[in-house]
Amino acid sequence: MEKVIELRELTKTYDSRRGLAGLTLDVFQGEVFGFLGPNGAGKSTTIRLLLDLIRPTAGNATVLGLDPRGEGVELRRRVGYLAGDFVCDGRQNVRSYLRFLAALRGGVPAPRIDDLADRLGLDQTSKIKKLSKGNRQKVGLVQAFMHAPEVLILDEPTSGLDPLAQQTFLDMVAETALDGRTVFMSSHIMSEVEAVAHRVGIIRDGRLVAIDTVAGLRADTVRDVVVTFGTSVPVTAFSDLPGAISLGLDETCRTLSGRIAGSPDALIKALSRYTVTSLRATEPALEDLFHAYYEGAEAAPRTGSGRVA
Amino acid sequence: MSAAVFVRTLSDSRRSLTGWAVGTALVGMAYASTYPSQRQNTASIPEALRESLHVDGTAAGYLQATVFGVIVPLLAMAYGVATGSRAIAGDEESGHLDLLLAHPLTRTRFALQRFAALVAGAFGIATLVWLAILAVRNSAELTDVTPVEFLAQCLNLALLASAFGALALGIGAAVGRRAVVLVVSAAVGVLSYMAGTFATQIGVDWLAYLSPFHYYIGGEPLKNGFQWGDGAVLVLASAVFVLVGLARFDSRDLSS
Repeated sequence: MEKVIELRELTKTYDSRRGLAGLTLDVFQGEVFGFLGPNGAGKSTTIRLLLDLIRPTAGNATVLGLDPRGEGVELRRRVGYLAGDFVCDGRQNVRSYLRFLAALRGGVPAPRIDDLADRLGLDQTSKIKKLSKGNRQKVGLVQAFMHAPEVLILDEPTSGLDPLAQQTFLDMVAETALDGRTVFMSSHIMSEVEAVAHRVGIIRDGRLVAIDTVAGLRADTVRDVVVTFGTSVPVTAFSDLPGAISLGLDETCRTLSGRIAGSPDALIKALSRYTVTSLRATEPALEDLFHAYYEGAEAAPRTGSGRVA
Repeated sequence: MSAAVFVRTLSDSRRSLTGWAVGTALVGMAYASTYPSQRQNTASIPEALRESLHVDGTAAGYLQATVFGVIVPLLAMAYGVATGSRAIAGDEESGHLDLLLAHPLTRTRFALQRFAALVAGAFGIATLVWLAILAVRNSAELTDVTPVEFLAQCLNLALLASAFGALALGIGAAVGRRAVVLVVSAAVGVLSYMAGTFATQIGVDWLAYLSPFHYYIGGEPLKNGFQWGDGAVLVLASAVFVLVGLARFDSRDLSS
């Protein structure tokens, strides 16, 4: 599998604070990679480093094997970028502005621009400064996708979009991946990434705290379980169970309830010794999982079943 | 790479550029037209001031002291500073620069196209000023100065505006903050105007040689025609301002 984005010990220190602290990460061809983290975690810093808008303090990054600094023109020619806070010039209408941006790339077939705009429901005759936040974001999406780049680097791409446009965007991302092209998108919302991302990296305070497939991350999460038994079970039957969090029997010793982290395998094997009349385990809420990471429950990067650097 | 940035910059600024050109030309024309009524009054100006402003009773002397000595070059400098400050620092502060430089063009190329548009605008303004002065040349009794001599002065006007534009663009490229650009450029503008005009009076002749103003009008193009050496100094200074700014621009982070 070909590496499209390679980050090695990428570090960026600003005057007063640390932006990125030794980030190492690979993104592969044809993959949709979700880059998650709270505001200020270093997502935009990483993305701006990839486009040579800012320069690393240490470490290095390549996109399509190209160095952002030395081979930036070639790199940016093959990349589509949407900034987190997309700002464009408001004096002209959408059509003329998109054509100007296309000219900076040496031209893009007009039908492709029109198709994308139509698909997103963007009226190209409007003046940019009169557009709503969501419609302005659509201008950003069109300019990022219009030249069919090999790599899309999108910073909070769905911010301000209505649900319909969000769905269209997710379809566009999925199609891009089917084409064998690569999408690297940041977000602080799990659910939108979950819908399309093959793998997810979670960043906090400039460090990668987790990287895995969505399913893999889910496997590590905390579930609420409630089990009832046909007869009373011994009081100590479920003590010392790996991964148990506040798991306990009621006074009749016929109901077990509480939370369990990670794989439920040990619990299942322990249960098999008794007569179970009902079992309920809630689907883990991914948002809870992410809050756990955000709050610093994990200090060291973890790797799971996914492809990992 | 196309000249897309150059073309777009000019077309985006067509309204403000038209405003600068028409405004500057009208002001120049209005002042020039007062020559017949003001000619007699020059005698009442104190000797020292007359000398510093190169005022004498001739048409060239009057124009050097008024139209081409004060108001028109100050407007041209203001155009250069305003446009130069927007060229990079303005777009960087708005966040628009991020988008443009995420395209396949180098920062150097981008800045040079912006500068080229600024220079084109400066030449447009100077051309319109020249045409406006020619339009009143007969009625305002300015026929002692030939059209070519007017052209020589207007060329220096374009170069002066470009030099201040280069200064503002260079500072903006280096620091990316428009307020800094405006403060520094305005300070340089005022100091160089004073140095160019009053250096002789305060007895430090050499100071004038540091002033773009000196190269703009010190050679008295309205009397002596084209001053190629002075023009070359303005071009060289512009190149230095832009290149020094670009060197820093190319190595720093863009602010987000």
